Amino acid sequence: MQFFLLLSVFVVATCGLIYELIAGTLASYLLGDSVTQFSTIIGVYLFSMGIGSFFSKYFKKNLLAWFIQLEIMVGLIGGTSSTILFLLFEEVESFRFLLYMLVSLTGILVGLEIPLLMRILKNKLEFEDLVSKIFTYDYIGALLASLIFPLVLVPYMGLIKTSFFFGILNVVVATVLCIKFEKEVKWASVLKTQSIAVIILLLAGFVYSEKIMAFTESLSYPDKVIYAKSSPYQRIVLTKNSKELRLFLNGNLQFSSFDEYRYHEALVHPGMQGLQEHNDVLVLGGGDGLAVRELLKYNTIKTITLVDLDGAITSLFKNNHMLLDLNKGSLLDKKVKVINADAFKWLKENSPRQFDFIIIDFPDPSNYSIGKLYTDTFYRLIYRALKENGAAVIQSTSPFVAPLSYWCIDTTIQSVGFKTLPYHAFVPSFGDWGYILAVKGTQYSIPDNFISNLRFLNHETFQQMLIFPKDMEKKKTEINKLNNQAIVHYFEKEWSEYLH
Amino acid sequence: MKAIGATMVASSFSCSEKSNDIPASIVGASVAIGHKLRFDKIPEPTLIEEIDTIIVGGGVAGLSAARYLHKKGNHHFKVLELENSAGGNSAYGSNNISAYPWGAHYLPIPNPENSEDLFDFLKEANIVTSFNSKGLPVYNDYYLCFDPEERLFINGYWQDGIIPNFGLSEKERKEIKDFMLLMEDFRRRKGMDGKYAFTIPVDFSSQDSEFTALDKISMAEYLKQKGFTSSHLYWYADYCCRDDYGTNVNNTSAWAGIHYFAARKGEAANASQGTVLTWPEGNGFLVKKLSEKLKDKVISNQLVYSVKIENGKVLVDYLDSQTHKTHRYIGSNCIMATPQFIANRLLDRSHETISQSTFSYAPWMVANITIKEFKDRKGAPLSWDNVFYDSKSLGYVNANHQNENTFHDKRVITYYLPLTDGDPVAERKKLYDTDALYWRNHIINDLSQIHPEIAKSIENIDIWRWGHGMVRPIPGFIWSDERKNARQSIEEKIFFAHSDLSGISIFEEAFYQGTRAAKELLNKS
Repeated sequence: MQFFLLLSVFVVATCGLIYELIAGTLASYLLGDSVTQFSTIIGVYLFSMGIGSFFSKYFKKNLLAWFIQLEIMVGLIGGTSSTILFLLFEEVESFRFLLYMLVSLTGILVGLEIPLLMRILKNKLEFEDLVSKIFTYDYIGALLASLIFPLVLVPYMGLIKTSFFFGILNVVVATVLCIKFEKEVKWASVLKTQSIAVIILLLAGFVYSEKIMAFTESLSYPDKVIYAKSSPYQRIVLTKNSKELRLFLNGNLQFSSFDEYRYHEALVHPGMQGLQEHNDVLVLGGGDGLAVRELLKYNTIKTITLVDLDGAITSLFKNNHMLLDLNKGSLLDKKVKVINADAFKWLKENSPRQFDFIIIDFPDPSNYSIGKLYTDTFYRLIYRALKENGAAVIQSTSPFVAPLSYWCIDTTIQSVGFKTLPYHAFVPSFGDWGYILAVKGTQYSIPDNFISNLRFLNHETFQQMLIFPKDMEKKKTEINKLNNQAIVHYFEKEWSEYLH
Repeated sequence: MKAIGATMVASSFSCSEKSNDIPASIVGASVAIGHKLRFDKIPEPTLIEEIDTIIVGGGVAGLSAARYLHKKGNHHFKVLELENSAGGNSAYGSNNISAYPWGAHYLPIPNPENSEDLFDFLKEANIVTSFNSKGLPVYNDYYLCFDPEERLFINGYWQDGIIPNFGLSEKERKEIKDFMLLMEDFRRRKGMDGKYAFTIPVDFSSQDSEFTALDKISMAEYLKQKGFTSSHLYWYADYCCRDDYGTNVNNTSAWAGIHYFAARKGEAANASQGTVLTWPEGNGFLVKKLSEKLKDKVISNQLVYSVKIENGKVLVDYLDSQTHKTHRYIGSNCIMATPQFIANRLLDRSHETISQSTFSYAPWMVANITIKEFKDRKGAPLSWDNVFYDSKSLGYVNANHQNENTFHDKRVITYYLPLTDGDPVAERKKLYDTDALYWRNHIINDLSQIHPEIAKSIENIDIWRWGHGMVRPIPGFIWSDERKNARQSIEEKIFFAHSDLSGISIFEEAFYQGTRAAKELLNKS
């Protein structure tokens, strides 16, 4: 009996620390700031263990049965904790509460274990011996856990599998004890049934977690996936490594926190600084609020209307605190009105309203659905939605990788009556990236100065951005129309050649 | 493991049960009311009203005649329509996902010649927005078929376009290319009379016997005579005949078969040759535009059962299928905008010596399928027209295609099946003897060939049975005296307007025949 109980101390200790590490790691993945997350998680966990130890005195009888019951519960809660946290991360508001609740619960249950075990063993060992053995196994378990977690478990198994695995281990201990001491344990058959049910559940989780998380998502991204959700429109994935946060939509990189300021400064300021008036601004796409963040650097703006198809994106960027740090809470600003609608349909039906500046930040025209948003028909709606001397800027893929696609956008914009100002900027995550400013009326002038609180743009930089070297020179292309979708054909060809 | 096994068995059961759960129903064409014409004795009319002109039939020809009369300031007329809404085989429907067609669903950009009236209409409807400096029409961008237009599932792959290409041998590709060049040549050819060999309206085509002789043989015989052997070319020619005429390659005249390829010469400022105009509700859009100013002129649910001339007046007797009361219009004129087999019955001239046996009509089954996102095979993405090589159907059209939205979680697809296997009379009987479940299973089986799990995505299937979907241009018909004579007015009081008078059932011909009949009527007075 002694040996089995001491072995279970070892397993319980390992599992307990693993749950704590998982919670800490997940919290820093999902919420950022690993120092704070780890300290608070460890603190809460240890404190909860104290609560558990305190309450252990209220367990008077059937100690072994209670110990087994606790093992099963710890296994269930600890084993499913990371899955629960991953899945519920999108309920951002209650996420911290949920996180600390799970940590406390695990802590309390683990805290109950050692005192109970000591009392179970107290008549079988001398007190000195008892204390020495139990804590030796406990600390060895802790050492093992703290070594294998970063070196083996996280790299080879991933968080979700690790937690299911240790959950199973926990419950297996319970089962073994149950079988071994069947005669001494009250409600042995009930506990056995329970533990088998929980093992099946955790096993299923173990098998499916592999399928769902590890294979489809994490492996296809270079960094850790910290958020993944399918909205009705797209797959949204956030990944994080030590220095950058990245957003992927349907597997395509939308920004990296490392250099997105380059992209967004280049998108917003050349238009804003050259316009005489910019009272009313419309942003199409750009549900990440990063272009809006740049816009809010101008106090003179009166209204910003953002139209993005996907409510899941705008809500994520309104609620998640890591993302709020990045966009400075721009979508929550009172000047900003967020509308979740299809941009084409919205523009077609909202004709009376006109804007000084329109920022068009759509995904690249990689398919026919998105290709519609780069057609002359669409740009005619943009023209109509601009005030007499307004302008629009269009993110226009890479003029280096896809010159035909880029210049096709330029040609198409010109075909509906705009004058254009093509420019490009180097954004390391994307490459050499292109923009086209579409100018209506005569009031726009190329800016000489830029506001001072920018990290990338200034007068000299912008002068360079207007120069297109020989390998990016203007090319003759078709006009992209709804009935030819020329750009989708250019884009497919150019990018597939580049990527292979 | 046992538990998992059991779940899998259960789910595979539920999969096949799922297709049995898909609701399917038959909607549309009032066959039962229409058939009253053949069997029932109908009481003498009780209510009598006088009017200038009665138009019998609210299909495209009838509405085009009505539009023209209205445009010329003649407002004292009514259009009597059997169904509960006008449109004929350009009928349409809608649900909360999309509007969708029940029949004709596109209009190729029209030929510049002999189409002044048609262009007038297209301008009224804002389909043509202006003309450029070269005089070419500028079409409304929202109505030109969006790219990607067509794809064909062949040899396990969706290829772009519907002319078979993927996986074909060089020899076959060359044959198809030669055939297309031959058709291109016909497109430009003119006859001794200076007219285009093939044009629209058919009336304006050359009567040079070099070309009209082609009407005597079938399209299949023509291909054989030209030495073509490629089975894929025969498939393509067959597909085109079934698509436009509801008749297979063996029963379509070579003149009509070539007309499909060679008659269209439309050009546009903002579209390439051969581009089509289309709308979610198909040609239902054109029907709405035609009848825009005719709101109180078209009376639906009216079964006309007799048209005759007495004392110099035209008497039109009809039954209101809602109230079951019979009425009579006494008019100065009447335009019969019905197919000829109906016109003959209404005029009670089946006993007359003029043989009308050459007029025959193709039965069709059309289904509108409401569907969630479904898995697609490799190749070209979902297009407007999606055809599959190994199917008797013409494939399906995506009704949501012309929607500017970038995202659809559900769509309506329209599945077309002309019944061309046997004699049309037998096929028509078969069509009416089968029920919604039969067609549901047929459609699911057919679609499952290319989309294996499609049953899981289908939410609803509505079925429309067209007993007489369109006139069949069988060999000898288009240049027959019967067709030519059928439009002769009766005492300059009863005029005839229907696409079957052209021999091919397309919007332009119906529009032309309706407008022509209205002009004849106006010219005599």
